[in-house]
Amino acid sequence: MTSSHSSRTNRFGWSVPSSVLSLWTLAVPLVTVWLFTSLGSNLSSSAAIDLGYALANLIVVVAMWTFIGNSGVLSFGHLAFVAAGAWTMSLLTISPLVKSSIMPDLAPFLADASVEPFVALIIAGVVGGLTALISGFALMRLHGLEAGIATFALLMLVVQVLTYWSAIGPKSGQSMTGVPRSFDLQSTMFVALIVIVIAWGYGQSRSARMLRASRENAQAAPASGISTTRHRIIAFAVSGALAGVGGAIWAQTNRVVQASQFGLDFTFTTIAMLIIGGMLSLWGAVVGTLLIAALNHVLGVVENGVQIGGVIVSLPSGSRLVVVAVLMVLIIILRPSGITGGREARWPFRPRDPFPAAAGRNRVQPPSEKTPAAAGAAV
Amino acid sequence: MIPFIQSLIDATSAGAVYALAALGIGLVFGVLRLANFANGEIITGAAYALLLLWPVSWPLALVASIVVAIALSLLMDLAVFRWMRSQSPAALLIASFGVSILLQRFYEGIFGARVRSGSVAPALTQSVNVGGLRLNLLALVAIVLAGILLLGVHLFLSRSRMGLQVQAAAADFRVARILGIRSGVVIAVTLGMSGVLAAAVAFILTAQSGAVDPTFGVQATVFGLIGAVIGGLNRVGGAVVGGFAVGFALSLFTSWLPSGFDDFRVAFVYLLVIVVLLIVPNGIFAGRTAKERT
Repeated sequence: MTSSHSSRTNRFGWSVPSSVLSLWTLAVPLVTVWLFTSLGSNLSSSAAIDLGYALANLIVVVAMWTFIGNSGVLSFGHLAFVAAGAWTMSLLTISPLVKSSIMPDLAPFLADASVEPFVALIIAGVVGGLTALISGFALMRLHGLEAGIATFALLMLVVQVLTYWSAIGPKSGQSMTGVPRSFDLQSTMFVALIVIVIAWGYGQSRSARMLRASRENAQAAPASGISTTRHRIIAFAVSGALAGVGGAIWAQTNRVVQASQFGLDFTFTTIAMLIIGGMLSLWGAVVGTLLIAALNHVLGVVENGVQIGGVIVSLPSGSRLVVVAVLMVLIIILRPSGITGGREARWPFRPRDPFPAAAGRNRVQPPSEKTPAAAGAAV
Repeated sequence: MIPFIQSLIDATSAGAVYALAALGIGLVFGVLRLANFANGEIITGAAYALLLLWPVSWPLALVASIVVAIALSLLMDLAVFRWMRSQSPAALLIASFGVSILLQRFYEGIFGARVRSGSVAPALTQSVNVGGLRLNLLALVAIVLAGILLLGVHLFLSRSRMGLQVQAAAADFRVARILGIRSGVVIAVTLGMSGVLAAAVAFILTAQSGAVDPTFGVQATVFGLIGAVIGGLNRVGGAVVGGFAVGFALSLFTSWLPSGFDDFRVAFVYLLVIVVLLIVPNGIFAGRTAKERT
């Protein structure tokens, strides 16, 4: 939340400093994730398993928000950095003995490499960030749909390389097995919380504010001396690093890593989470992910069959993705800015706004809503 | 020399398929600003119709595949895209991504997740000998079919009254509407044309592989979409050339990359796409019209 007010007077007459207001937008997501995790881990063993994936997805979606939310540019390519992180984590933590048997052609320095899980996690973030930085120099000059397609091409490029290059992985198309489970749920949650803090901190930075300015008005921001490309590259690199961490967490949760896993379905799930929650706010990324994760778990239970009054009801397998897809399409049609409306978590003790017309000023509206409701409004 | 000509013909036929896919996507994008990812599922639907009905009767299979493709194309619009006409192309693309996943699960539920095989137009799998050149009949059919369809679409767009209206709508939808063009009809015609093109792609691909699974049309659509973007999404001709170029490059890489690198042929195509977009961010044939920076 980027409140332009220095402070606000609440209904009791004392003012709330703006630092509290902005910290509130960090505290609410953190507490929500913490409550969600402690609730879910005590529910059942299957819930605990789903929770591990949910936290990994959460990191990936928050990473995507860091770029997509702040820049307003669509990226279908973030799974490339997730894949890079997952690959790094697997190569650095699988025991050398296993590596030599499933990946005989591995480059020597990778074959012997073995580090502590936490160090591997950080290296995964660095690898993801560097991949994003290097590709960002090329990709961030693009806009709109072209950017979406180019980032998608990047993902496909990375997936192809990881599939076939046996010097950095298994033989073509095979999977890396035996990734050790390095973090328990508690530490996974702490990693997720730290990622949220970093993403929020980036969102408060001068660079991110400039980037949001360019998102709101692509002409006025450069005219005020903002280098859109430069700040997009910074956001892309930060986001790539966080996505790399997400990939590392995902790898040690799933324990089997294969290049083809980072394809369209995974991309779709994470983008749907971001869109459903509201892609313009960190709070939206968190809400969307946790909501879909909870829904996924419930549907998964029903897929296995639930007894309701003597009758066993079960859904066909694969219905989870259908529900997510239907939900996302409905949200895009009915509430294009997502459940949170693209707003950050709000300070609940707000004063009654004396200028209701100005209330909309802080609200971020997607640019599309401004265009007239004509069919296929001209670009 | 002969293997070179042979690989050139293969590349042309591969290019022709992706040119058709790109044309379908480009036409719809021109009018609706919708880069339809779910075009792949229209192709898949038509392919299932071809595969399942071909043993019954081949004319029926052909007609059914076209009907299914047009119906799917119109239904998609009716159910989803017409409710979000005012949204940005990016939002539309994401929604079409959702529709695509949805239809894939739908096919999985009806026809099963596994590959269904059969033979479509088995007569076309023969080769003919022309002066020492073994030509795959199917490749020739693909080139001819694509040629006819491209010419047909071109003549329709440039000569017929309806086609001119479609072009006007693609240039500026609001002004076209103000000038009295019936938008509903134009949209329906465009979607219908994209359906026919998808059915043609489905015919060539099923005749080639004889196997269909729920994600059958995804690859052709991804390459078609990418081709349309690098050709220039706001020019229909550009989309065709872009799609052709992608297919052509893919096929040439397949036959001419040195061993050890041939696994990376698809990677090279994607690398090429990124490089092309870097040099001409709006597409090769986008023209000099300044595009709104979004």
